[in-house]
Amino acid sequence: MNQFALQQGISAELRPFPYILEMGAKKNGAIQLDAFPTATGEGIRIYYIIEGRFEWCIDHQPYIFYPGDVALVLPGNAFGSDKGILEIGAFTWIQLRLQKPANGPMLPGAWSGLSESEGAAIGKILSLNRSPALSRFSEAGKILKCIHAELLGQEIGYQARVNHQAAELLIQTTRQMTRQSYSGRDFPKTFMHLEKMLRQNLAHQWAVEEMAAMVGMSTTLFNERVKSYSGFTPINYLINIRISEAIKLLKRPEISVTDIALDTGFYSSQHFSTTFKKLTGFRPSEYRKNHLRNK
Amino acid sequence: MKPSIACIITIELGTNGVRVFAFDLNGKVIGSMKGHHPTFHTEPDYSEQDPEQIFITTLYLLKNLLNECIHPKKYRVACICFSASMHSVVAVDKSGSPLGYAITWADNRAKKEAQELRQSALGKRLYEATGTPIHPMSPLLKIAWIRHRDKERFRQTSKFLSIKSYIIHQLTGEYLVDHSIASATGLLNIHTVGWEADALKYAGITASQLPDLAPVFTTAGKLKKAYQQSFGLPAETKILIGSSDGCLATLGDGVKGEGKATITIEDSGAVRVMGPTVLKDEQMRFFNYLLTENCYVSGGPTNNAGNIFEWFTRQFGDFTHPYDMENSMRQLVEEASQVPAGSDGLLFLPYLLGERAPIWNADARGAYFGLNIRHERKHFVRATIEGILYEIYSIGKTLGEQRTIKSLSVNGTFGTIPFWTQMISDMYNRPVRVRQRSHSVSFGAFLLSATEMGIYRSLDEAARTVELPDVYKPDKQRHAVYADYFGIFEKLSSKMSDEFTAIASLQQKYSSSSDHTAAEPVKPITRKKQKSKL
Repeated sequence: MNQFALQQGISAELRPFPYILEMGAKKNGAIQLDAFPTATGEGIRIYYIIEGRFEWCIDHQPYIFYPGDVALVLPGNAFGSDKGILEIGAFTWIQLRLQKPANGPMLPGAWSGLSESEGAAIGKILSLNRSPALSRFSEAGKILKCIHAELLGQEIGYQARVNHQAAELLIQTTRQMTRQSYSGRDFPKTFMHLEKMLRQNLAHQWAVEEMAAMVGMSTTLFNERVKSYSGFTPINYLINIRISEAIKLLKRPEISVTDIALDTGFYSSQHFSTTFKKLTGFRPSEYRKNHLRNK
Repeated sequence: MKPSIACIITIELGTNGVRVFAFDLNGKVIGSMKGHHPTFHTEPDYSEQDPEQIFITTLYLLKNLLNECIHPKKYRVACICFSASMHSVVAVDKSGSPLGYAITWADNRAKKEAQELRQSALGKRLYEATGTPIHPMSPLLKIAWIRHRDKERFRQTSKFLSIKSYIIHQLTGEYLVDHSIASATGLLNIHTVGWEADALKYAGITASQLPDLAPVFTTAGKLKKAYQQSFGLPAETKILIGSSDGCLATLGDGVKGEGKATITIEDSGAVRVMGPTVLKDEQMRFFNYLLTENCYVSGGPTNNAGNIFEWFTRQFGDFTHPYDMENSMRQLVEEASQVPAGSDGLLFLPYLLGERAPIWNADARGAYFGLNIRHERKHFVRATIEGILYEIYSIGKTLGEQRTIKSLSVNGTFGTIPFWTQMISDMYNRPVRVRQRSHSVSFGAFLLSATEMGIYRSLDEAARTVELPDVYKPDKQRHAVYADYFGIFEKLSSKMSDEFTAIASLQQKYSSSSDHTAAEPVKPITRKKQKSKL
């Protein structure tokens, strides 16, 4: 790939694709000082290494990248070389703007053709981003090359193809991230990660598809494995965690029952009350009253 | 109205989850369910569980079992009986609320305390009085740890419970602990069946900070009204306090009487005998737990059993389908069966998790020994299984110094794999009986309940009704081979003691993978590449 740099607002090529903030390829023959300073960006940035070896910092953590690796930088994260040095080698990159609703996960736009729930799952997984360094991910290089060729060629149907390929890049990146984290050999470990994520985001309205995607499994396989390992369906397991956490909060009189309901992921205090009573035999307010009486 | 048929429900509060079974009065399973709850390791040596989640899981399972298998068929629940893993500690405040998570048997935070006490005269005296080995698993040491290292929690604690005592308190409002669970706390004098004053003093508590002692046949109060309604059970439903998993698995295999021993192989393993006297041991290698007065379950536990084979499978098994551990293990067992007994001289020491009985060395580590150029992958597979079972055999051999073992029974997920059972039979040179369905613990709880209800006159009679066919017979030739190699296995295990300590301390010194031990942040690197330089 030859060197190039396209920027939204400047390059005409990007005009039909307002979500592509920038795209480029760089080939560097000699070490340059102050050529790669740390900066934050508005969109999600994906860098694919073609040649060489790069030491870059993402969100202030150092990583080393080799050909075939991808650096994934979230919106607002600092990214660059520690001392601004640009090492010898070649890489290509793209920056995509995702929508950011007030209290939801990042969402790819309508251009991606992803349904709202799939888009939300991808946004959620990318934003949890446990591993900004994705290794052996040559698929990303192929997709970037294709987008570049389509942008320059502008053959019939190229707009649809660019949209498809950009969506493909997000999908493959998400899959690569989850696959890299979970080897397929150790379900208890995978389940432990899932359980941890659920606890950390208990208020989130989890869908099974999203949980499955988080650990890089198909929904069918996920359902089957969770059931045979834990005895629960994924949703019932989640409800058990929610109620167990709610019980702890109910013992603290300063938090309102409505807040507890929302904090533990129930969509209303009515929903919370019904579920709680069904499992424990008490309404949440009764449970609280009984507990305070014993004190 | 059609007269209802009585049934017995057992609730097993296990290490990884809760299992509920319903039995008819003949001991036939009429329904069962399981529910997982997680173990948290917030620090390297910590192993904790959420008592609230265990309680919610119990409620969920009990309710679903009743609604799916019991109420629709008009069974009458005569009795609900509990069993639980041993050695757990739940500290609760005045209102009965847990102060932090439950500390499980696998928690090692009190290892320093254990090491010191084990070497003291007091430690020896406490072991003789309580029957519980001086080990971080023991609640005695966990409470002592809280006393010295978590003073605020210690100050606020009104009672130190076990997980089972906590669940029963939630259901009935009673604070009780059965003799079996109590005998595994290191705080109970198993000869007088009362709290041991010196142990209480060491832990810094009084008897009023512990639940009341109760024989295993005790009715633990009445279900609270809300639960009667939500379960659809009458007030007179008997809640039987029951016993511990170890004692009940032994009873459930019918191991009452002379010359019988039972081997459990799940993730961890144990060899147990039952009898009217305790096993005395100068080296403090055995546990002695109490089932009923004058009936002790004694034996030795190992850390390294099925979990080691799972570890091996994760590293070296073929995973054609993701997360299909069972299938991968089956393939490996098949591979192992292509190698003759003794693995052509490849030995495996399975001490990946340190070891309890019989060597009681937390620093012990694993090793493959005797490798020669003809060994192949399949030899490693067989040697791994043989190593795990040599360790099980070595526990039985030490027990054999005090009790004659004439017949064996085996239970547990791994012990009942036919290839494994046969190997146990060959190593011990004894016939081995098998309980195919893996619910010895719950079946023991059934026998206990049925005895309490008067269906059997005594636990002896109940145990005698357990019939397990003599399936596996030892092979003389294989036994001779194993016996030869076991000599080297045993020598290696004790000879390498110094090297175990040395490598364990280096492993700690240079530990890099842990999230907790490194003082400075470890530099994350995508991967290191071997660059070939010419």
